[in-house]
Amino acid sequence: MRLPSVPIRIIAVAGVLAVALVGLVVREGVARAQGREVRLAVGGYDPRSLLSGHYVQFQLSDRLPAETACRWKGRRLEQLPGGWLAVRREGAGHRIVGMAETRAAALRQGEMAMRGKVTCIGAAWTPPGGTRQESSLSASLDIGIDRIHLAQDEALRIENALRTTLRPEDAQVILSVGADGKPRLKGVIVGGERTELGWF
Amino acid sequence: MASYRRRLEQDLDGWIGRGLVPPDNRQAILDSVGEGRRLDAATALAVVGAFLAGVAVIAFVAANWSAIPRLARFAMILAAFLGASGGAAWASRAGRPIASQALLSVAALIFAAAIGLTGQIFDIAGDAQVALRGAALAAVLLAAAGRSPWAAAVGLVLLALGDLVGEPVFNSREQPGLLALAIAPAAAVALVWRSQALAHATGACAILAVLTVGELFDARSEAMFMAGAAGLAAGAVAARAVRERYDAPAGVLYGWFAAGALMWFGIAGYYDSLRGVAHSVAWLALSAAAIGVGRLDRHGGVTAVGVIGLFVAGATLLFNLGVGLLTSAAVFGSLALVALLVAFVLRRRRPA
Repeated sequence: MRLPSVPIRIIAVAGVLAVALVGLVVREGVARAQGREVRLAVGGYDPRSLLSGHYVQFQLSDRLPAETACRWKGRRLEQLPGGWLAVRREGAGHRIVGMAETRAAALRQGEMAMRGKVTCIGAAWTPPGGTRQESSLSASLDIGIDRIHLAQDEALRIENALRTTLRPEDAQVILSVGADGKPRLKGVIVGGERTELGWF
Repeated sequence: MASYRRRLEQDLDGWIGRGLVPPDNRQAILDSVGEGRRLDAATALAVVGAFLAGVAVIAFVAANWSAIPRLARFAMILAAFLGASGGAAWASRAGRPIASQALLSVAALIFAAAIGLTGQIFDIAGDAQVALRGAALAAVLLAAAGRSPWAAAVGLVLLALGDLVGEPVFNSREQPGLLALAIAPAAAVALVWRSQALAHATGACAILAVLTVGELFDARSEAMFMAGAAGLAAGAVAARAVRERYDAPAGVLYGWFAAGALMWFGIAGYYDSLRGVAHSVAWLALSAAAIGVGRLDRHGGVTAVGVIGLFVAGATLLFNLGVGLLTSAAVFGSLALVALLVAFVLRRRRPA
């Protein structure tokens, strides 16, 4: 079989790649629209970097006890196997209440399950002639979403609202959790005002 | 090319004067070399103007980026990618291979940027490593479609970034990287397509790839570095063996592989299990061998790598012997005198 000429091949590959990129956007958009809504409390990642460029950066307020999500590997603390977080409704929002190796195990701990990781922080050491010592342990949650990109004026407005927000539950990130368990960003609620992502 | 032609003209005149070349052949020989392509002032100004216009457009779009609707932003990115790809196809059809390669490389870079910008425009969260590997795959597909070693080099660099980004190097990564698997095919393509650019990218990435296979060595860094040195040395031997057939790209690979082999061998010796006089002496011997082989092959890069290795290995040997700074200075000074003396004797013996 004779191959098409080089220009034809270039155009064909470029077309396939462009279609793949469009497909990704459409697939993510559909999954975002069809998923179940989850609202989690967030706080500023760092008071000085709430607004960097045209995005607002945040971090989840929920924490898990390190003993339930991490294990020791030598002198290093690392995440337990698996990457499913158990989510439970609480008031107007939701809370992450546990971590499990499988989706079914996560669903036994909460009403919903979504994919996520924890970052385990802690160290152990043994002084000469002494017993094993451990630092304070913590496990912060990582769902792969830590910022929302907005127009500059909108980002500034949200930044001001976050600064004046006194109660943690007044700032929430809105997620859409699809059948695949992947959380997708839908928007944020700050000071009672809901800002959702759109196509335009 | 122009300077080579000038040198050839001078040499030819000398050879004709000594009767080595018939005068009638002068023009035919010069015609076989051809005149190097020169960029006239008007073309150079047009290129600069086009470049500045591009920068102005990019700055204007960047200044108004957040005011542009999301779909319009996405359409602009796709248009830029398809424009560069279309330009590459047109240049290929018009018989302009350099322009086609350059535009295809730009298209590969735009696609890599497009993945990141699309994620930003529509707030699609994802793994940076997956994104970079996807961009690398796209670059390789474009390279294969257009037989473009430059685009392949872009793909290799993106793959290297994908292996290294966001992951701790040395011992702690969860899985071996993909870069190590890509080195042999990339080297083969560089040789077959006779591309020095791809050979340079492959050589540099081969050295980096050693950092991405830590998982295979159960967190023993010195074993990883020694295995990397052995693999690169094998690559250097293979590249040297095919140098006659594949010329410049094989020479480029030979230099990079030799440099990486000596470098990782030396670094392995800084770990407790290998540290010592024996390793330093072996390092010195390998460096000296590299100088010898480099001189034999008339390969400046390999020779230079051997010289640098000789200095660092010598310093390490003195450190491992526990010799003080003054003694070290005396030893280095003596070695320098010996080297100068040998060079002087060799120069005196050379026939006139």
